[in-house]
Amino acid sequence: MRRSLMGALMGAMLFAAAPAAAQDLDSMTPEELYEIAKTEGNVTIFSLSSRIAQIKVSFEEKYPGIQVEGVHLNSTRQIARLQAEQRAGIYAIDVMYMSETPIVYRDLVPEGLVEAYVPDRVKADVPEALRENLLTHRLSTRALMYNEATHPDGTPITNLWQLTTPDWSGRVLIDDPTQRGETLDLLTEIALRGDEMAEAYEAQFGEAISVDSDLQGAGEQFIRDLFNNDVVMINDTQTLRSAIGIISDGPKPVGFMTYSASRNNERDGMALQISNDTVPGAGILFPAVLALGKNAPNPAAARLMVDFLMGDDTPSGGAGFEPFFVQGDYAARRTIEDHPDAIAFDDLNLWLINPEQTGQARQRILDLVITLQ
Amino acid sequence: MATLASRAPWMARVVQSRDIVPLIMLAFTTLLVIAPLLMILFATLTPDGMAAWQAITNSPLSRNLWWRPLGNTMILGAGTAIGCLLLGGFLAWLVVLTDVPARRFLAIMSILPFMIPSFAAALAWSTLFRNDRLGGQAGYFASNGIPIPDWLAWGIVPTLIVLIAHYYSLAYTMIAASLSSVSGDLVESAEMAGAKRGRILFGIVLPIVTPALISGGMLTFAGAVSNFAAPALLGAPVRMQTLSTRIYGMVQTGNIERGYVLALLLMLMAAALLYFSDRFVSGRRAFVTVTGKGARTKRFALGRWRWPLFIFATLIGVITTIIPVIVLFASSMAPRPGVLFSNWTLHFWIGPAGTSIAEGQAGIFRNPHLIDAVFTTIRLGLTVAGCAMLVGLLIAYTIVRYKASPYTRILSQLSFVPLFIPSIAMAAAYIAMYGTSLGPLPALYGTFALIVMAATANLMPYAVQSARGVLGQISADIEESARMTGAGAVRRMAQIVFPLAMRGIMAGGILVFIKIVRDLSLVVLLFSASTPLLSMIAFNYASLGFMQFANAITLVILVICLIASGLVHILQNKVQGWKSK
Repeated sequence: MRRSLMGALMGAMLFAAAPAAAQDLDSMTPEELYEIAKTEGNVTIFSLSSRIAQIKVSFEEKYPGIQVEGVHLNSTRQIARLQAEQRAGIYAIDVMYMSETPIVYRDLVPEGLVEAYVPDRVKADVPEALRENLLTHRLSTRALMYNEATHPDGTPITNLWQLTTPDWSGRVLIDDPTQRGETLDLLTEIALRGDEMAEAYEAQFGEAISVDSDLQGAGEQFIRDLFNNDVVMINDTQTLRSAIGIISDGPKPVGFMTYSASRNNERDGMALQISNDTVPGAGILFPAVLALGKNAPNPAAARLMVDFLMGDDTPSGGAGFEPFFVQGDYAARRTIEDHPDAIAFDDLNLWLINPEQTGQARQRILDLVITLQ
Repeated sequence: MATLASRAPWMARVVQSRDIVPLIMLAFTTLLVIAPLLMILFATLTPDGMAAWQAITNSPLSRNLWWRPLGNTMILGAGTAIGCLLLGGFLAWLVVLTDVPARRFLAIMSILPFMIPSFAAALAWSTLFRNDRLGGQAGYFASNGIPIPDWLAWGIVPTLIVLIAHYYSLAYTMIAASLSSVSGDLVESAEMAGAKRGRILFGIVLPIVTPALISGGMLTFAGAVSNFAAPALLGAPVRMQTLSTRIYGMVQTGNIERGYVLALLLMLMAAALLYFSDRFVSGRRAFVTVTGKGARTKRFALGRWRWPLFIFATLIGVITTIIPVIVLFASSMAPRPGVLFSNWTLHFWIGPAGTSIAEGQAGIFRNPHLIDAVFTTIRLGLTVAGCAMLVGLLIAYTIVRYKASPYTRILSQLSFVPLFIPSIAMAAAYIAMYGTSLGPLPALYGTFALIVMAATANLMPYAVQSARGVLGQISADIEESARMTGAGAVRRMAQIVFPLAMRGIMAGGILVFIKIVRDLSLVVLLFSASTPLLSMIAFNYASLGFMQFANAITLVILVICLIASGLVHILQNKVQGWKSK
């Protein structure tokens, strides 16, 4: 408790001298940051991944004298806790590593509850779209997946609209979009891509689409048609994966999940594969971002942590990035190589979401889905 | 007092009136419960909140957002309460009041299901009953040629069955505690007067345990209504939503105000229900059975029904406990998730790090944090159980002894509400309220005390309800005698009420303990120490995609609960040694 009080005090002091100090810190090299961070002594990071435990070890090894407090919390909980803390005037969080960016950009960024930090040394390596506001650490996916053993000649779904046909009635699996932000983001992206969906409709059925009068665009029509075609919702990731991916006789459903699910194919006796050839797109790429908490109690150590997590200049990203280097996820730093077993980043047929736009459109899509349930 | 009366007559009236104790307890409850409630309420009075009220109560969304989930929730709540009372009541009767063989064994079997997380029971169900709705692998029955219709595999029927299987131990615990205070004298008198067994059961035993039945019914109702795992896992494939899955979903997708509105409406429904059950109880004559004259329990002779009933009770236990445990155990040994019964390995328990299995992760017994986590978990469990027992006893005592006070009914309802407050709201409120120093209170942010406070408030209903069932039976005569000999309130509490109500309080304490060591959602939001809890380790593993490790940890938690309840059982018999032969 003394520590958090001290933290709050230090935060308050820094806040007084903030403008100059923060700018200085932002332009410092890791070595310079480390010198100041040593006087701070520790750093608190909230992480959506439990692999933060590995980061604690490697960070403390590289930067002795700084203790890492790594808290594993999902993004929703991180956001709720940050809001509650700051409402009480507590500034205890240095770094947040989270996804659910549509909510981050809606609830945290405009109010200034989190701050962006992009280390100078990685700026050139990260495409601009991934560091415009908060710094993207890596991109995860929510994509259409099929069973490669059942369909050795490639995906049975060449056009998303096939999912709305009687052949696939009751054979498309998805986790509940009213409970999973990523899945809601996927449907929202499809809705935002109305023109592409209209074009794909014509390619599939040979005629122009007619959209119901209460809907906006072909994407929303797709969502309605998909639900009316008895899409099956599952809340258990493991069951979702094995229902689609298990190697056995008989027809298999297809469904939406993270592409990285395929990395355990061998271990689990599965044959999950991304349906990358589906037009107009097979799914979405969404960011996990790194942000500093407002009035971070350990501003130098916080920046040093972000810098560390962005990895070194080796193709694997070194100790800072390696724990997150899994097949099917993609580093924002393009100097870090894509996983050899996964489709190369440039060949992915996935839509990169724009979190701010998604955040604005999300509510409407959520409401649409609720009425369809 | 005279000077006080002259200076502030209203204050004197309050101090002298019978309302003073209820008022003190009410103030206390306000700190723990009303404050977070108000925070939730205020959050729904913002423009976003008003939009949420509108969307839920009066819009094209209302049907799927509120009415249909409400219907499902009420069916599940009522169905679970009835099922649990029947099942739990039957087992409690059998264990406490009859000469059924192996009563200790049956007693432990009957409390076990509550220690197994409900997701395990749901998992077990779908392992057995899954049909081809999902494609891929069929369940055990379907793959053996027995077709399983959708209604039996998914939706309200299996959810109801799983919930009853999980919560009946709650009803059992409460009814058993109350039954054990049915004195043998009463039964013997009835027998001497020539009453038949059925008559004794319905004429004497049932009326006496009515408060416990109501408590048990309310708790199992609340448990079923707020349960998330079972409806989420078994309901989704047929698009069944309950209020708990809706609340979770709304919070998860960034519509926290909608989640809060749903929670508030749910609390209103529950409060109304509680109001009527309170009236029902207080409208009846109270039966005072603990009179200070120690009388041991009189057991019915079952005769030729001894063994058949034993087998039946064992069967219930096996189906509701052993099968989920086997599924959990199998899924902690099976290298391939979903293929539970082949190629078993002990790697997930004791395997070394750096092998080709599980991406090089070592077994849980090699996790350096495990031992620390076990102790932190137990410490948290004991502290919260202790606090909740104390708070529960005080509140229940107030409710029972000060029936006449108008504040008592409010107190009774308030003490029940925390079960319906979404944990994310509870945690947020506690951080916001007690994070900074509040008058004489120091800032509690990040401390163990804050977690204990929040958890105590959250689990208060268990403690209050179980203490209440037993306290209602303790005769006021005993206390009055003590009062006349000059014993103060604290002394009466410590030396009379506490020992007599021990059994019920301990029963509540163990429920709280089990709940807190298993539960994640509230604690995880308040915890920041570097030593994790067992439930957090399980969550870490699960989020890495290794359900095997997570299930192994769940079994460790189960063992801790089992040991704890074994100890409580021994303690209960020690404390009330005059009950056993």
